[in-house]
Amino acid sequence: MSQIYAIVKKEMWQYFFSPVAYIVLSSFILINSFVFYVVLAAMSKSASPPLSPMALLFGGTFFFWLVLIVMIPVITMRLGAEERKLGTIETLLTSPVSDFEIVIGKFAAAFLFYLFAWLLTFVYVLILKAYGEVDLGSVFSGYIGVTLIGAFFVSIGIFATIISRNQIVAAVISFSIMALMVGMTFFTFILGSGKKEFFQNIDLLAMMENFSKGIIDSRNVIYLISGTILFLALAVKSLEARRWQ
Amino acid sequence: MLNAVGLKKLYGNIKGVENVNFKVEKGEIVGFLGPNGAGKTTTMRLITGFLYPNEGDVIIEGYSILENPVLVRKFIGYLPESNPLYEDLKVSEYLEFRGRIKGLKGKNLKERMDYVVQRCEIEEVMKKLIGSCSKGFRQRIGIANSLINDPPLLILDEPTQGLDPAQIYHTRELIKSLSLDHTVILSTHILSEVEAICSRVLLIHKGNIHFDGSLDDMRAAFSGGTQLKISLLCPENKGVEMLSQIYNIVKFTVIPSGDEKICSFKVTSKESTNIREEIFWKCYENKIPLLEMSLIKRTLEEAFLKMVSEEREEMQ
Ligand SMILES: Nc1ncnc2c1ncn2[C@@H]1O[C@H](COP(=O)(O)OP(=O)(O)OP(=O)(O)O)[C@@H](O)[C@H]1O
Ligand SMILES: [Mg+2]
Repeated sequence: MSQIYAIVKKEMWQYFFSPVAYIVLSSFILINSFVFYVVLAAMSKSASPPLSPMALLFGGTFFFWLVLIVMIPVITMRLGAEERKLGTIETLLTSPVSDFEIVIGKFAAAFLFYLFAWLLTFVYVLILKAYGEVDLGSVFSGYIGVTLIGAFFVSIGIFATIISRNQIVAAVISFSIMALMVGMTFFTFILGSGKKEFFQNIDLLAMMENFSKGIIDSRNVIYLISGTILFLALAVKSLEARRWQ
Repeated sequence: MLNAVGLKKLYGNIKGVENVNFKVEKGEIVGFLGPNGAGKTTTMRLITGFLYPNEGDVIIEGYSILENPVLVRKFIGYLPESNPLYEDLKVSEYLEFRGRIKGLKGKNLKERMDYVVQRCEIEEVMKKLIGSCSKGFRQRIGIANSLINDPPLLILDEPTQGLDPAQIYHTRELIKSLSLDHTVILSTHILSEVEAICSRVLLIHKGNIHFDGSLDDMRAAFSGGTQLKISLLCPENKGVEMLSQIYNIVKFTVIPSGDEKICSFKVTSKESTNIREEIFWKCYENKIPLLEMSLIKRTLEEAFLKMVSEEREEMQ
């Protein structure tokens, strides 16, 4: 456990040393504030708003997905690829830590960074509360959704960076996998009813819509958690395979 | 302390090392010596568990590195070949990270950090970024990392590589002093380094161990006896005649002396014979004045080159 803490702490030092962290955070805030503003402006004109503004922030717009599938590759790409490039993987893998602990440490660092970014959006909740009623239940479940999808995507990013020697390659791999996952939604439109059922179960857009409406569907939760575990397990296996190569 | 048993490592179809067997006892300083591409780094990566072997096993303090990898790595402090470091961390942050990842915390961590900082003399760079440290300091930071959790075994891959002579001297002195309370394995392709630091040498060449023993043993094995230079006050033919009568001389060659009355020879004797005394008495018997007799100490450098070139001849 203290080894995992050591890794998280070191990754945090490196995050906040590099400009990438600040660029990611400011873009994140900028885009979300823009969305929030547009949504508020639109809602103040219409008499009966169909959704709460927070729901639109949680997956209700194209921007939500764009931010996720760009931001997560960027915050994960360095974690493994850089160790390989610098050669520090040699001191890391010969330290008295298991490959599992290394992967979890790296995952936790990126995930905490991601959660930190979302924590900033809590300001919007406070603003809304100041001006009117907010359904705190659906805000809560929305954050649960953001957390679970984030964990899933971060694990994809960790897997990609562990198998790459180059940061950009890592980012492209994880971006592609995530884009494919999000793009699954299109299959639900294209395909006939039989397969449609299957794709509906793994439709991230639909899942996020549920979360933002206050619905926590156990199938969605299980899907996202097992996806996270799967990619983390793949990352551990690839680290292990490195020693046998 | 360490027992490497039948190690074999293949990189795809390329042989890294093969049939590597050796033992290291507590307190030894062992030098891995070999030319580029010999397999020194591969062997070190196998004994540190960075790579797993295709065949064989490494036992450290009684534990197999394949069965107890995490435990065994606690016993090892490792300085990899190019001394990789995180350029964007401060030296203090780096050492704290390395200490924590090796299981140190709290007061203990602080004490060990203070100790290695003082031991490796890196106080003055503690607040600097590693990326801005000079090569000499980087090397000391790498060694400080290997020492941080006070492991019984230090494995240093080319610890003086790329340093200036003053830094090389400094690093060697540091390693020597560390060897008082750690078992040390280091690698180098410079013979004088082995001569300066090590008590034992493992000669690695083309992925195999060619020699394992003390430095003196190695010199003897490759030089095959004592070499002398002698000068006699007599014509060359008389000198040749006399030396031919000495049974214990394996070989002698004439060294041109530039003076007709004096002849000089380079003489190689059989192993472990008291050849100097024999030559003296032979000269006395033949009434030939002995002007000079000196020992030519065959350097390891020569022995090493000889071995490598013999290999090359064999191949052709
Ligand atoms: N990652 C790798 N992939 C393929 N071949 C490798 C790899 N690492 C080493 N080799 C090969 O294995 C052999 C032994 O290399 P190794 O690095 O162990 O030698 P070395 O004695 O450390 O050499 P040097 O003095 O140059 O550091 C060489 O033929 C080398 O080309
Ligand atoms: Mg090497």
